Amino acid sequence: MNLQELLAPSRVKFGLQSTTKADVINELIDILDADGKLSDKNQYKEAVLHREKEFSTGIGMGIAIPHAKDASVKEAALTLGISKAGIDYEALDGTAAHLFFLIAVPADSNDVHLKVLSYISRKLMHEEVRNNLLSATTYDDVIAAFKD
Amino acid sequence: MKLLAITSCPNGIAHTYMAAESLQMAAKSLGFEMKVETRGSVGVENEITMQDVKEAHAIIIAADTNVDRERFQGITIIDASVQEAIKNPKGLVEKAASSQKAATTATTAPVQNKPTRTGPYKHLMNGVSHMIPLVAAGGLIIALSFVFGIEAFKEKGTLAAALMDIGGGAAFALLVPILAGFISYSIADRPGLVPGLVGGMLASKIGSGFLGGIIAGFCAGYIALWIKNAVKLPKSLEGLKPMLIIPLFSTLLIGLLMIYVIGTPVKGIMDLMTETLKGMSSANAGFLGLLLGAMMAFDMGGPVNKVAYTFGVGLLGSNVFEPMAAIMAAGMTPPLGLALATYIAKKKFTPEEQEAGKAASVMGISFITEGAIPFAAADPVRVIPSIMIGSAVTGALSMIFNCALRAPHGGIFVLLIPNAVDNLGMYIVAIAAGTIVTAIMLSILKKDAPTND
Repeated sequence: MNLQELLAPSRVKFGLQSTTKADVINELIDILDADGKLSDKNQYKEAVLHREKEFSTGIGMGIAIPHAKDASVKEAALTLGISKAGIDYEALDGTAAHLFFLIAVPADSNDVHLKVLSYISRKLMHEEVRNNLLSATTYDDVIAAFKD
Repeated sequence: MKLLAITSCPNGIAHTYMAAESLQMAAKSLGFEMKVETRGSVGVENEITMQDVKEAHAIIIAADTNVDRERFQGITIIDASVQEAIKNPKGLVEKAASSQKAATTATTAPVQNKPTRTGPYKHLMNGVSHMIPLVAAGGLIIALSFVFGIEAFKEKGTLAAALMDIGGGAAFALLVPILAGFISYSIADRPGLVPGLVGGMLASKIGSGFLGGIIAGFCAGYIALWIKNAVKLPKSLEGLKPMLIIPLFSTLLIGLLMIYVIGTPVKGIMDLMTETLKGMSSANAGFLGLLLGAMMAFDMGGPVNKVAYTFGVGLLGSNVFEPMAAIMAAGMTPPLGLALATYIAKKKFTPEEQEAGKAASVMGISFITEGAIPFAAADPVRVIPSIMIGSAVTGALSMIFNCALRAPHGGIFVLLIPNAVDNLGMYIVAIAAGTIVTAIMLSILKKDAPTND
């Protein structure tokens, strides 16, 4: 398992259409579902929304990481959406979010996927990684942004 | 200046690591050394050691889950949420760095006062505390089946049979695996669970009882830990370690160890003991009772106990009923004695054990010796001799009083059946005597329980 498998080209969208938090969650889940990673789209969506209710995954710094570990996920997968305009995601620091990582993990996920996710999570805390992602225009740019 | 931090969130997928990284970066930019322990879904990584705590000035606990704070006594603890650590890492690091260093005397004193909470004892207690509810649930459900009559569970399809299946067939079958599994888990973290469970299951299968389970738990844990630390893999394969490499090889090793190294001698010893007992059938009655009693209490369901019990049941077929009486009485006194001890010597037992004592009393009167296992596993050196002496007294008295028992089990329920027991009055005296001896021995031998403050 490496980054390219977890975040396949088919699940990276550069121009998000949505303008609200509810819409952007739907838009990302649609991409994930179209890619065949979910067995029950509605159940997964409920799990994501449940997590958001605990506290918003808009962690500030222009990043949101809606996520759920749920039985409706067939295989661990990341979906990345980028919005140049920014979307209000009820972020902790009140700023608009530009980078959206939808994280889907099966209920019985193994450590390999989680290790990759922890690696990505750590990388996102670095400003230059975020800047590189924001200016990315191709899939290769995205992958390159995460490389050391 | 050295700082510490722990990050942990309920899901443990992303926030834990984001918080860890932002704290680390903030500390670096402010010129502090910082070690961050992450408690995410992968398990505990970069664990903070006693040495780290000694050297550190303060610790930031950025957690939305419970984190054991006991090991940080003596250094300043800064509490924060995970979000706070992501949002304002610099503020937290500055707060930690500028905090007053707690008095250094407090740093070492509590640690030295509590040697029993670390190392092997901690691992053992982790196994025991996970086992206690299983013993209580299983034991009480078996006792419930006796309410329908002591032979009721033999009728297939009845509720009594179902209860016996739940308590005896399932819950008690899990007892040793859970004990071993969680000892091993405590040693090697998540990768230790599988070899521990399998080792415990094999300990059960080869009839080595809970003592075999303790051995299995410790061996499995240290094997898993050793593989985790000693085996180095290229980075691309490193992810396979916790899910494939460690479980596979540690389970294989502990399995072979249990079957060939522990299993073979256990069987040999059992055969030898059985022969010896047969030769003693005509020996002095009191001495035979003493021996059978001590054997019953030694390992409670393990090989020695089984030899004694099988010996008694075998004699029932030859219409010799006295040894069976001694055996059942001696099997009742360990949990009864412990229950009494938790009552008369409260400070020698943890609150958890005091609760377990109540369940043990019900198991005691039902001849479910396993009720004493959590106590014996937690402190074998003091508990096992105490219950052996109590049971030996009971066994000897039962034989001397010529008590006889015509059923192989049932505890107090069999006493109510007319003609099942000869010399019923003195039989109860024998059981009571052993119970009191056990409780007195325990209150003398056992040390005060460590407090949980």
